[in-house]
Amino acid sequence: MHTKLTKVFFPLFFLFFLTFSFTAKAVDGEKLFKQNCSACHKLDDKKLTGPGLKGVFDRVPQPAEEWLYKWIKDNAALRASGDAYANKVYNDFGKIPMSSFTHLSDDEIKAIIAVIKAGPPAPPTPVATAPGAEPAQAPKGNTMLYVLLGLTILFLILINVLSGVKRSLQTLVNEKEGLPAPAELGAWGEIKYWMAHNKGIVALGVIIGFLWISKIGWDALMGIGVYQGYQPEQPIAFSHQVHAGQNGINCVYCHSGAEKGKTAGIPSANVCMNCHKAVQEGKLTGTKEIAKIYAALDYDPNTGKYGNNPKPIQWVKVHNLPDHVYFNHSQHTVAGKQECKTCHGAIDSMTVAKQHSPLTMGWCIECHRTTEVQTAGNGNGYYDYIHATYKDKFKGQPITVEKMGGLECAKCHY
Amino acid sequence: MTKVKKYWKGIEELENSPEFRKSVENEFPEELPVDKFLGNDALADTSTNRRDFLKFLGFGVTAATIAACETPVNKAIPYLNKPEEITPGIANWYASTYADGNDYASILVKTREGRPIKIEGNKLSPVTKGAVNARINSSVLSLYDSARLKNPLAKKTAATWAEVDKEIKSQLEAIAAKGGKIRILSNSIISPTTIKAITDFAAKYPGTEQVTYDAVSYSGILKANQANFGSAIIPDYHFEKAEVIVSFGADFLVNWLASVEYAGQYGQTRNPKNGKMSRHFQFETTLSVTGSNADVRVAIKPSEQGLAVLALYNIIAKAKGAATYDAGIADEYKEKLQEAASELLAAKGSLVVCGSNDTNVQFVVNAINSLLGNYGNTIDTATPVYLKQGDDAKMEALVAEMNAGSVDGIIIYGVNPVYTYGEKFASALSKVKLKISFADREDETASLVDYVCPDNHYLESWNDANPKKGQYSLGQPTISPLFDTRQAQESLLKWAGIETSYHDYLKANWQTTVGASWEASLHDGFYSVPVAQVAAEPVKPAAVAATTETPAAPATDISSAAAALRKGVSAGTTELQVYIKTGLGDGSQANNPWLQELPDPISKVTWDNYVTMSPKQMAELGLSRLERGDDNADVVEVTANGVTVKAPAFPQPGQKYGTVGLALGYGRTAAGKTADGIGANAYQFVSVVDGNATYAAYDVTVKATGEKYQIAATQTHHTLMGREAIVKETTLTEYLKDPKSGNPQVKLQTTNHGKQPVKDINLWRDHDLKLGHLWGLSIDLNSCIGCGSCVTSCTSENNVAVVGKDEIRRSREMHWLRIDRYYSSDMTEDIAAEKGMGAIDKFTEMEAASENPQVSFQPLMCQHCNHAPCETVCPVAATTHSLEGLNMMAYNRCIGTRYCANNCPYKVRRFNWFKYSDNEQFDFNMNDDLGKMVLNPDVVVRSRGVMEKCSLCVQQIQAGKLTAKKEGRKIKDGDIQTACASACPTNAITFGDLNDETTLVSKLSKDDRSYNLLEEVGTQPNVYYQTKVRNVKESA
Repeated sequence: MHTKLTKVFFPLFFLFFLTFSFTAKAVDGEKLFKQNCSACHKLDDKKLTGPGLKGVFDRVPQPAEEWLYKWIKDNAALRASGDAYANKVYNDFGKIPMSSFTHLSDDEIKAIIAVIKAGPPAPPTPVATAPGAEPAQAPKGNTMLYVLLGLTILFLILINVLSGVKRSLQTLVNEKEGLPAPAELGAWGEIKYWMAHNKGIVALGVIIGFLWISKIGWDALMGIGVYQGYQPEQPIAFSHQVHAGQNGINCVYCHSGAEKGKTAGIPSANVCMNCHKAVQEGKLTGTKEIAKIYAALDYDPNTGKYGNNPKPIQWVKVHNLPDHVYFNHSQHTVAGKQECKTCHGAIDSMTVAKQHSPLTMGWCIECHRTTEVQTAGNGNGYYDYIHATYKDKFKGQPITVEKMGGLECAKCHY
Repeated sequence: MTKVKKYWKGIEELENSPEFRKSVENEFPEELPVDKFLGNDALADTSTNRRDFLKFLGFGVTAATIAACETPVNKAIPYLNKPEEITPGIANWYASTYADGNDYASILVKTREGRPIKIEGNKLSPVTKGAVNARINSSVLSLYDSARLKNPLAKKTAATWAEVDKEIKSQLEAIAAKGGKIRILSNSIISPTTIKAITDFAAKYPGTEQVTYDAVSYSGILKANQANFGSAIIPDYHFEKAEVIVSFGADFLVNWLASVEYAGQYGQTRNPKNGKMSRHFQFETTLSVTGSNADVRVAIKPSEQGLAVLALYNIIAKAKGAATYDAGIADEYKEKLQEAASELLAAKGSLVVCGSNDTNVQFVVNAINSLLGNYGNTIDTATPVYLKQGDDAKMEALVAEMNAGSVDGIIIYGVNPVYTYGEKFASALSKVKLKISFADREDETASLVDYVCPDNHYLESWNDANPKKGQYSLGQPTISPLFDTRQAQESLLKWAGIETSYHDYLKANWQTTVGASWEASLHDGFYSVPVAQVAAEPVKPAAVAATTETPAAPATDISSAAAALRKGVSAGTTELQVYIKTGLGDGSQANNPWLQELPDPISKVTWDNYVTMSPKQMAELGLSRLERGDDNADVVEVTANGVTVKAPAFPQPGQKYGTVGLALGYGRTAAGKTADGIGANAYQFVSVVDGNATYAAYDVTVKATGEKYQIAATQTHHTLMGREAIVKETTLTEYLKDPKSGNPQVKLQTTNHGKQPVKDINLWRDHDLKLGHLWGLSIDLNSCIGCGSCVTSCTSENNVAVVGKDEIRRSREMHWLRIDRYYSSDMTEDIAAEKGMGAIDKFTEMEAASENPQVSFQPLMCQHCNHAPCETVCPVAATTHSLEGLNMMAYNRCIGTRYCANNCPYKVRRFNWFKYSDNEQFDFNMNDDLGKMVLNPDVVVRSRGVMEKCSLCVQQIQAGKLTAKKEGRKIKDGDIQTACASACPTNAITFGDLNDETTLVSKLSKDDRSYNLLEEVGTQPNVYYQTKVRNVKESA
């Protein structure tokens, strides 16, 4: 009884996500490049904050790979050692220091160098059908409606005609038998007559109608406070499609809180300026929108100086969780190893950010019920400890978030 | 014709005057006051008619409804330039220092998004070792006190700093030019750099002199040590080294001197595991927290204190062959004094302390400690404590000087003498030409000065502290000043013509005088220098004279002191002891609602002070003894030294018959809306005798007024009524014989198979407790001193609402954690059986506490039962059990039936009878934008109609688990701390994973002393208690 109750009444959500998407630790150079380098460097010859990397092997002191290794590992040290080329690059690019990557392993740096060597990937062939598919579908839905509507009218006419025929025939029969002609009931009268003689069908219809209307009402009520698809206009027409999609900037480059704490965070304007000090013209809107960042910071792109009248940018929050829910991004991204798009959808194709998921409790719980936690053998000491207590009871069964208490109230509500 | 009787409606109708006829025709005798109703003529001209009104109304309602369905537009405004160390949603911790002239602690301040929200102890500090008390962890709320001044005041009107500085500087210069006197009146300053700033100020204005005045004075000790050692010092006491502790009225666990430090030291000596415990004698008037923890407590009158000390001296001196002096102590104390003396003599290390501020008494106490060889052992004179430096005689001299009109300027810093010293100071102050105060609010004193230059709150300030020789700590701001206030030191520097910021000034001074790395010290919060290396006392407080070589022990010639004591005081039938309460202390934080609502550890009364009296004496005076939940106290008039104070009388078991007590800190008139008008000001009874403030009055009259006054206590039933499973206790002797003594396994008979252990009797389907973690607490009743630090820490961590006095009277306090205090009774089951008493008589007598009861404290929070009665009865499953052993509470699911609270055997559930935030009726910190800044953003503020209770700080558990997961490691014991466990100065509360055998809590839960509260109910809690062990002799 108790466990049954638990199943029925306690569907609540929890933070432990772990997926089986945990992949083997092969060094993925492209991913590393995307995470660490792509914010400032392109693989072609286009300049961002840093130089484009096309032909870099010919430019730098030889042997190029060795030099690049030193430069990537700790460019400040290389500059300090008096390397002429290193200092030249530094001075040429406005003395904006490149980050050091001392935390990367040798293999990882080598993988990055390999990616640079390979050069830019071939431009993807545009998906020809994509733009055309959308308009083609729209009339299709409408046609169905028109066909239905037409059929309905046709049937109504048919009913009318048939009942006319029936009445005429009845009149004829009655005339023949010397009975008076049936009363002229009119259309509404006919319906009433039919209803009076088919009470069972009418009752069934009423019940079905009632249930149908109730369902609509219930769905409407359940939709209160659910803002799936919410896509507010933002003060700056920032395009995720350009930044995350085309430029391939890693999500956490800007939303750095996603791997640290509860909020992913909206990047502060100084993060924008890491690139937009150099990139002063956008692909879609030219200088118009980028100028708004400068205005917020009171920055003059011509002189490169900051004024003292900055005004914070008032973004409109897209994802609004109720105050009584505790949600922690880092739980899901770091401990649970979830991809951003699992909840946020294809943000990298949105020009205006949109709420992809319903963010309802049912949605949270559904995921917690089905997501399996990789407890054993992923090198995480915490889960090793937990697994030791679980393995006997759940031998052979997948350990889902739910089994680890992921539906309990106090995992998210306190 | 029938005769129709005619009735007149009145004389007017009979007379039928023309006026009457006119009025009859008019149905409504008076004109409807339409014009008045409409008020102004303009309304008549408007085009808005009734229909329009209805249209607007209809439109408004519809619009509001539609708007409610719209997506709320929430703005997210990121930083323009994010500081590197701030990540929204992640707390930053800063090491800092709390020093307010009474308490000192090295602390850690938790800030969220730039707001300090919680104070915890700094466990690295060699001085306080992570201990804090209720006053310290509540001080974060005082930062957000809306009564604080928002700008400087000049002649009671708002001014700018530039204006104030200009005016003050010119006046100070004028005083200096004519060679006038300037006085800086402050509390004991332990900040070396502040002293340097004052020195620099004095260099610019040569007539300047600093006068130290402590509202709660220790000048008796300072003067006795001056006589003994040639320097006015307070030595460093080591309670942890004492096998026998004898205290005469010193409440050293919560109030006396460096109590934060002493509580921890004392806690170390109270663990019976090592086979021994310290033995603690307390001779005192009013039952104090320290007295309630004593193994032997003797109630004495204030007038007898000196004689008792002398009598103890005599016994010890006799044994040691030193001179003795006739004490003439009453016979009733002789036995206990003899017992104390013989144990002191037998002990390897002992300590005798005294709360008296009489130099002669302290002189004799020094002599006792000297005879016992405690100097160099439990008393370290080489490490003077600087917390108290005030000399009451100097304050007297200052007031005389002011009255004589010879003081030209006074700067009041950190003290409120009009409140603490009295009207005498106010009249003297009026004779000073230039009066400046650094008070943070227009308090009793600051409302009488010319310029108020509000000081920052300590959480907005840079500072350093030197609590004792060789120990330094730094205070750093954790928030920008909320208002246009300025640090007092910076004001002094500015007036002295030094334009550097106090931060730079402090940094330079720290590096040159302390000689420590600034960054490392700032990170750790403190820096220690071995005492021997504190070469030339670079930063000695002004009042402490230079010490060269302090003698190891003082001379033992106490003849003159003994003579003075023997002469005694002319005592009347009733005496008054002024004491300090744990919550409010000296009253400087009186406007802090958390402290006002903290129940006094002993009386359990909130929001008031009261006249404590012996119940026996109250019965004689015909005063209500507040039995059986009666809260209508009789108001009495207490008259002493020509001062009369009216306050409710409160029955206090343990109060010496023939004495009354009154707590300091209440009776504020200009502290702010929370404190003003609450209680009576006990400072009025403090008088200065022989150059020392005396916190007692020896001839007091107490008179009933016939008035009634309702007091709000959180506990109205005081004894255990023979129940044994609540507070289990034993004696040390018994414990050493059998560690399980006093903690028998509870067995119940349910079948004909005989009695079974409770754990085996089960009506419930068990949760699988072996999976993952099982969180639990262990509470050592032996180390718990009842101080209440955990209660305020919990309030601060969990956004517990303040409900006010009226609601507490209705038992609607919201504290998730309470400390139950039980008195022993003279009647026990055994005695009743012996006397053959009936049940009614027996229980009636059991309800009454003993005259001098033994006291037990028991912190009680949700017990997180594995078989929780509350979970069973919730109709909506709002309270459920987690895999990790937590009893969870989902506020949004709760519909407020309160079944759970009714079914909880521990009564730890709290119901939100009202919405306590944004409610004018509960005008405390949650009804105030400023006060709400203290709220913990990780914990929901509960709304009306839902139940709440201790969550075992689930937010900390979740955060701790997440950190471990992200770091890919097992949770380390101590990683996760509940607010109560981290705030406990004696480490009585331990939190951890019961499933992990390596944790302290799991070891404690299996200890022989460990038990579950109300085990026979079968709730199987995850909170364990450890039996209280009293170090009493069997004869008792």
